[in-house]
Amino acid sequence: MVKLLIEAFLLAMRQLRIKKVRTLLILLGISVGVAAVVGVTSLGEGIRVNAVEEIQKSHDLTLIEVSPGLSNGNIILITESKVRAVRESGSVVAPYVKDAYVTSNKTYFEVNGISAEYMDAKNLQLETGMWFKEGTYQIVLGSDVGEKFSKIEGAEIGNSIDATIRLYGEEGRAIDKDITFIIAGRLKPTGTDTDTDDQAFIDINVARELTGKDVYDGIMVKLDKSSQAPGARTAIEKLGLTCYSAQDEIDSVNKIMNGVTLVLAFFSGISLIVGGLMIINTMIVSVYERTHEIGITKAIGASEPDIIRMFLSECIIIGVLGGILGDLLGIIFSFLIDRVGRPMLIAQLGIGDFEHLTVINIQILVAGFLISLVISVIAGIYPAWRGAKLDPVKALRQL
Amino acid sequence: MYMVETRGLGKYYTFGSGNQVVALNDVNLAVASGEFVSIMGPSGSGKSTLLNIVGCLDKPSSGDVYIDDEKIDYGNAGSLVKLHRQTMGFVFQGFNLISTMNALENVWYPMYFNKIPKSERKERAEELLESVGLRDRALHLPSELSGGEQQRVSIARALANNPRLILADEPTGNIDSKTGGKIIDLMKKLNKEQGITFIVTTHDMVMANNADRVITITDGEIID
Ligand SMILES: Nc1ncnc2c1ncn2[C@@H]1O[C@H](COP(=O)(O)OP(=O)(O)OP(=O)(O)O)[C@@H](O)[C@H]1O
Ligand SMILES: [Mg+2]
Repeated sequence: MVKLLIEAFLLAMRQLRIKKVRTLLILLGISVGVAAVVGVTSLGEGIRVNAVEEIQKSHDLTLIEVSPGLSNGNIILITESKVRAVRESGSVVAPYVKDAYVTSNKTYFEVNGISAEYMDAKNLQLETGMWFKEGTYQIVLGSDVGEKFSKIEGAEIGNSIDATIRLYGEEGRAIDKDITFIIAGRLKPTGTDTDTDDQAFIDINVARELTGKDVYDGIMVKLDKSSQAPGARTAIEKLGLTCYSAQDEIDSVNKIMNGVTLVLAFFSGISLIVGGLMIINTMIVSVYERTHEIGITKAIGASEPDIIRMFLSECIIIGVLGGILGDLLGIIFSFLIDRVGRPMLIAQLGIGDFEHLTVINIQILVAGFLISLVISVIAGIYPAWRGAKLDPVKALRQL
Repeated sequence: MYMVETRGLGKYYTFGSGNQVVALNDVNLAVASGEFVSIMGPSGSGKSTLLNIVGCLDKPSSGDVYIDDEKIDYGNAGSLVKLHRQTMGFVFQGFNLISTMNALENVWYPMYFNKIPKSERKERAEELLESVGLRDRALHLPSELSGGEQQRVSIARALANNPRLILADEPTGNIDSKTGGKIIDLMKKLNKEQGITFIVTTHDMVMANNADRVITITDGEIID
C-alpha cells in the first residue's frame, strides 16, 4: 500500500518534470506568497517578542498588586481577614494604605503607609537619609517627589513639610487635617517603576491612625517564582479581589500583536490566491492536454478515484515543494526586513536598541508549509475532478 | 455459455432540433468463449460504438449487455472498473500508448491499477514484451517505436491482467498490410493458445478471413 503510494508520487513527479518550466513558475508563484506571509508574520512576532522582553526587563513578574474588587456593583474591601487569606498565596504579603496629601503650597503627593514587608516586596532602595522610624511622622520620598519638594518647597532631608489631608466625616462632611512630616530619606530612582518614584512612604500604623481607616487600599504580593503567578492570581481573585501584574501588560501586548500580525498576514496572503489560481489554471491545461491519455488510462482499469489521486499527487508535490521553497524565501525575506528595517526603526523612533526586529520560529514555518500544501490541494480538486469525469469515449476520440 | 451477449442493444444520439442519429439499433449478438469474431462494416456504421459499449466505456440507450451471462450494470462504476481490471483488455487504433512512459511501463500500467506489486508487475511485463517480440525495446518510448511495434506493445498491455476477452478497434488501421499481418497472426496465436476471446472491428479482409466468424454491420444494424 505504502509502496503504491510512493509510486503514485514518483509518477506524479515525472509528470511535473515533463512540464518543467510550468512547474517552476507555479512553485515560484506559490512560494512568493508563502514567503510574504512568513516574512510579515516574523516581523509581527519580532515586534511582539521585543515588546514582551521590554516589559519583562522593566517589571517584576513575581509581583502581584492586589486592589479592592468589584462584584455586582459592590466594592469588596481588603479587610484583615482578606489579608490573612491572601497570605496563603505569596511568600511576602504586604498590605498598605494610600492617601493623597497636599502641601501648603498646593503640591499634591501620594503617601503610602507601608510596612517592612512592602519595602522587601518592592525592593525599595534608599539613596540618602534613612528609613522612617515606626510610630513617627518621618517620611521617605520617592525620587521624583523628593526632587519636586526640593525645588518647589525647598525641603531637603531633615526638613519638615506641612501637609493637609481631606477626610470625610459621617455625613460626607469634609474635614481637613493638618500634619507635619519630617523628611527622613530619599529613594533611588527606579527608572522603570514610575509609581514608586512618584510616591512618599510613611509607617503604615501612623498612616492608618491619621485617616482612621480599618481596611487596606492594596496588597503587594511577592512570589518566589513567576511561574507561581497564575495560581496565586486565581486564588486571590477567588476572594473577590482584583489583581494586576506585568503579565497583564504582556497579555495585552500579545493580544494586540497577534491581531495585528493576523491582519498583516492575511493581506500579504492575498498573493497566495494568485498562486492558487495559477495551479488551477495549469492543472486544467494539464487535464486538457492529457485527455487522450486519461481515456486510455480509464480503459485499462483506472477508476475515478485513481484519476483524482493522479492529479492530486501532483498538487501535493507542488504544495510540499512550494512550502519548503516558500519557507526558505520567507527566512531570507525576514532576514532582509531585519537588516534593512531595524537600523531604520532605531534611527527613526530612537527606541532603545534591540537585537532582532524579526523572529522566525518553527510555528511560522510549519504554518507557511501547511498554507502552501492546503492551497495546492484545494486548487487541484476541481481540475482533478474534471479529469476523473471525462467521458472515455470522447477522450479516446481526441488525439 | 457466452462470453459476450447483447440483447436489443441500441444507441441513439438526439440533438436539440429533435434530429436523431441511430448509431446502433436492436443489436443482438452472442460471442462464445474462445471465439475470434471480426466486425466489419462501412465507416460510421457503429462498429466502434458497439465495441465501446461492450467494453463498458460507453452506455447503451436501450438493451442489455451480458458478460459471462451477467448483465452489466452501467450505473455501477465500481463493477465497470472491475470488468476492466479483471475480464477485458483493449487494443485501439494507433497512438494509444501513454507517450511519457516507455514500452515496459505501458505494459505494467494496467497491473499498477490492479495493485500488483512492482517487482511482479515488471517481471510479467517483460514476459509479455518477450511474447510479442519486443523484449529488447522495453525501455523505448512510444515515439521511438514504429506503428506496428506500438501496436504489439498495445497487445502486450491488453494481456497484462490476464483477460479472457480482448476488444480491438481497428488494430491494423494505421499500419501497412505486411505489419498488419503480423499483428493478426499474434492475435490468432493468443486466441488459439490461450483461448482468449477476440472481438475485432476491421476494414481489413485478411483479418476477416482469419476470424472464426465475420459480423457485418450497416447503419447500426447487424446484417447476416
Ligand atoms: N457523440 C456522438 N454524437 C453524435 N453522433 C455520434 C457520436 N458518436 C458517434 N456518433 C455517430 O454514431 C455513428 C457510429 O459511429 P462509430 O464511431 O461507431 O462508427 P464506426 O463504424 O466505428 O466508423 P469508422 O469505421 O469510421 O470507425 C456515426 O454515424 C457517428 O457519427
Ligand atoms: Mg470506429
